[in-house]
Amino acid sequence: MTDLTRRGFVASAAAAATAGVIAKPAIAQSAWPNRPVTVVVPWGAGGGTDATARIVSSILEKNLGQPFNVVNRTGGSGVVGHSAIATAAPDGYTIGMITVEITMMHHQGLTDLKHSSYTPLALMNEDPPGVQVKADGPFKDIKQLADFIKANPGKLKASGTGQGGIWHLALVGWLNAMGLKADAVPWVPSNGAAPAMQDLAAGGIDLVTCSVPEGKAMIDAGRARSLAIMAAQRNPLFPDVPTLNETLGINYSVGAWRGIAGPKGMPADVAAKLTAELKKAYDSNEFKDFMKARGFGTVWAPAQEFDAFMAKGDASMASAMKAAGLAKS
Amino acid sequence: MQISDRISGGGLAALGLVAFIYGSKLPPVRGQPVGPEVFPMVVGAGLMIFGVLIALGIGRSFEGANEVVAAEDGTTVEEKSAPFDLLTAFKVALPPALLLFYVFFSERIGFIPTAFVIVSSMCLALGARWKAALLMGLFAPPVIHLIFAKMLRVPLPAGLLPMPW
Amino acid sequence: MLDTLFEGFRLVFQTDVLIAIIGASIYGLVVGSLPGLSATMATALLVPVTFYMSPIAAVATIIAASAMAIFSGDIPGCLLRIPGTPASAAYTDEAFAMTKKGEAETALGICLWFSALGGIIGTISLIVMAPLLAEMAFKFSTFEYFWLAFLGLMCATLVARSSPPKAIAAMFLGLLVSCVGIENPAGTPRFTFGMTDLLGGIEVIPVLVGVFAVAEIMRGMALKDPPKIPHRKFGSILKGQWELTKTHKPQQVRGNIVGIIIGVLPGAGADMAAWVSYAMAKRFSKTPEKFGTGHPEGLIEAGASNNASLASGWVPSLLFGIPGDTITAIAIGVLYMKGLNPGPTLFTEKASSMYALYIIFIIANIIMIPLGIMMIRASSTVLRLPRYTVMSVIVLLCAVGSFATGNNLFLVVLVAIFGVIGYVMEKNGYPVAALVLGVVMGTMVEQSFVTSLIKSDGSIIPFFSRPVAAVLAAMTFAALLWPAVVWLMKKRRAALEPAAR
Repeated sequence: MTDLTRRGFVASAAAAATAGVIAKPAIAQSAWPNRPVTVVVPWGAGGGTDATARIVSSILEKNLGQPFNVVNRTGGSGVVGHSAIATAAPDGYTIGMITVEITMMHHQGLTDLKHSSYTPLALMNEDPPGVQVKADGPFKDIKQLADFIKANPGKLKASGTGQGGIWHLALVGWLNAMGLKADAVPWVPSNGAAPAMQDLAAGGIDLVTCSVPEGKAMIDAGRARSLAIMAAQRNPLFPDVPTLNETLGINYSVGAWRGIAGPKGMPADVAAKLTAELKKAYDSNEFKDFMKARGFGTVWAPAQEFDAFMAKGDASMASAMKAAGLAKS
Repeated sequence: MQISDRISGGGLAALGLVAFIYGSKLPPVRGQPVGPEVFPMVVGAGLMIFGVLIALGIGRSFEGANEVVAAEDGTTVEEKSAPFDLLTAFKVALPPALLLFYVFFSERIGFIPTAFVIVSSMCLALGARWKAALLMGLFAPPVIHLIFAKMLRVPLPAGLLPMPW
Repeated sequence: MLDTLFEGFRLVFQTDVLIAIIGASIYGLVVGSLPGLSATMATALLVPVTFYMSPIAAVATIIAASAMAIFSGDIPGCLLRIPGTPASAAYTDEAFAMTKKGEAETALGICLWFSALGGIIGTISLIVMAPLLAEMAFKFSTFEYFWLAFLGLMCATLVARSSPPKAIAAMFLGLLVSCVGIENPAGTPRFTFGMTDLLGGIEVIPVLVGVFAVAEIMRGMALKDPPKIPHRKFGSILKGQWELTKTHKPQQVRGNIVGIIIGVLPGAGADMAAWVSYAMAKRFSKTPEKFGTGHPEGLIEAGASNNASLASGWVPSLLFGIPGDTITAIAIGVLYMKGLNPGPTLFTEKASSMYALYIIFIIANIIMIPLGIMMIRASSTVLRLPRYTVMSVIVLLCAVGSFATGNNLFLVVLVAIFGVIGYVMEKNGYPVAALVLGVVMGTMVEQSFVTSLIKSDGSIIPFFSRPVAAVLAAMTFAALLWPAVVWLMKKRRAALEPAAR
């Protein structure tokens, strides 16, 4: 069972066999979907990716009249679920939510999968990181912080996720953009953004680069302050937080994103229909309200643009990971 | 599967040594004073020390017999195991073997047939009559399928016998 | 103040909220009692349902279902020696020993009664001193967590009736299991042997199901005649509990306090609270030799601590959006979704909603008692069924339940492997509970140690110089040296005795 591809293949073969039993008369018609669709989520139930996938699925289910079953295929730090999507039968009955990690994992040599292993359908969400510091600490704006880092490399410690995670690379990318080395701010790995924010308030670390919504509760509680976000524009939900470009003149942006994709080689008509339906879901009030309530950013990019977006992200991850000494080659 | 403390302790110490050596070969990580190699090495060393202690029989005096407290009066009786013959060995190995059977066959032949095999063979091994084992195998799987696949939406493979729900 | 309180009551006593509480309670009780399905899983599966509910009903659903599922996780642990959650693994052997004596209903009654009491006391602590407890959580950085995890590991020798070296070796084996995968501070794959499935490491649930459930069934296969479980008729489950409450006050109070403190610390949570409290009950007991033979003392303290920590775990979640455990992580998502954003404003601007939450907590813990008694009565019939009916279904449940936690068949392979490991360990006097403890705490020990050293640039001084860390360090060393002191004292007494004669 180490052979994942084969297992996925068996799974999809079994699924296909079932389909044959249930839906024989309709099989030749293009009337996709005529049976339930599986939506694979590579991360655990209850997390942000899971929640986003579930709201999208419930809207698709309502509009298309077939069940869209969310399945959390966890394990292998996301590798297992991502490969389950890539190796499923490309018939439109297994799709999944892919995340920013797909542009990172193959550089670390954890998998051969990359964005080109999928049929991209739509980008739905992106959250840029902010730079959060302790509220009663010495740093009042991003310029002051940047100057301090330049003057005292290695003095401040940062956290926000595990070693080599997206927020770690965001920090390294920002330091690089300022012409600094990755170890100008050593990274303290943590189990996600929430423990890092707690440690920030407890005085264990000096800055946290996680998305602003992830730090919102602590910011509202007056424990932390967000100095800047690493995005092209300000976040409408946090209009007071400036971008790096406005304050430091650095045009650096990065983000954790989530999108819907299917296995490579999906029929063009099914893919087109799915993208159109996803657009409808994206424009629905239900989706907008949900994302706003969670503080998640919404971004739309249909198939081709999503592909180009991932290719660009892949290249910038490659350089950031090399700078951090995380890339395998 | 009673093995002497000498062997089990020695086995643990050997495992510790392997973990220690494996750990020591892991590359250090830039920016971390303590790399990924340290924890496996500490754990490996710990296993080695305590494995050796066990092999030497230290602390054996603390071990009681495998006893059950009998009901009313609180006196203890030794739990009786059957003599370890081939049939018993086969029976003991059955539950994990059936789990592996599930792993390899559920996606090929579907949940219901796989579950039938698991439930019926467990019943037979535990001394149920043929009829009872068959009945259990026929009725238990659909109920579990209903709970997990329908109510909890766990994607159980349909295979040869898809359920109507 | 009084107005907002009334408003809170009005928010709770709506038809939809009350239906949600009752429905979610029954759901939680049933799902939590299925071996292999955890309380986290039960809660996560409810999230899509809450999309269509009013805010208070949605949160009520999560609160009620999670509280019930945690209690009913004790049921398979007690009746069949298959703990539903890592937390109940600490006292599974004790509860099962009571079942073997024919006291299953008493054991489950203890779990239920002291859980409910602990939950209510935990809620009161949440109401009265939430800001104070939150301040305490901010005294904890990774230095303090390291000592805490270290203290947790030291419970290994206390929770098991076996030789100390074997308990410690089993714990080290658990730590080794926790090394597997990429989820370590360095993000380096360890012991994965090129297998993708091992990258994410070995989770606690398949280990738990393997070493307890599968190993127990394997043991049962070898028994010629099944141990007859004496059947006793009980008049009232509650009456016995009232007696125990009166006779075990110190255990209960200690359990509540430890539970509340550990619960507030994000990442430590109910799992650790149960282990620490069970170990403390044994250490402070006048009859430690009775532990493990079906003795209520440890169960009372661990049960009291377990559920108190659940309630206080909501403090960092509600005040700062920092989840105390996986269940509150899910709950925070629901809170955001329903516009009840965590933060101090929840306590000021939305005070009536806040009171509503408190009231729901109390209600959930109160109705847990009658619903739980019904569940105990229903589920203890399992003991009277022919052995093959229960055993065969459990093998199937082990497969399906562990598969369901990640929809990955590799988890079933792990269950089988750990079943064999657990069986061999058990046969040779190695306590499997210590192995589970190692798996639970391993990541925390390593993570807190490594990250602390990064922060201090490699210096170990902050481990001792920070005030809270210093106290914890002193406790650790005291606990380490205590057995040696006892041993020395015994030896001296033994040396003196012949002289006195």
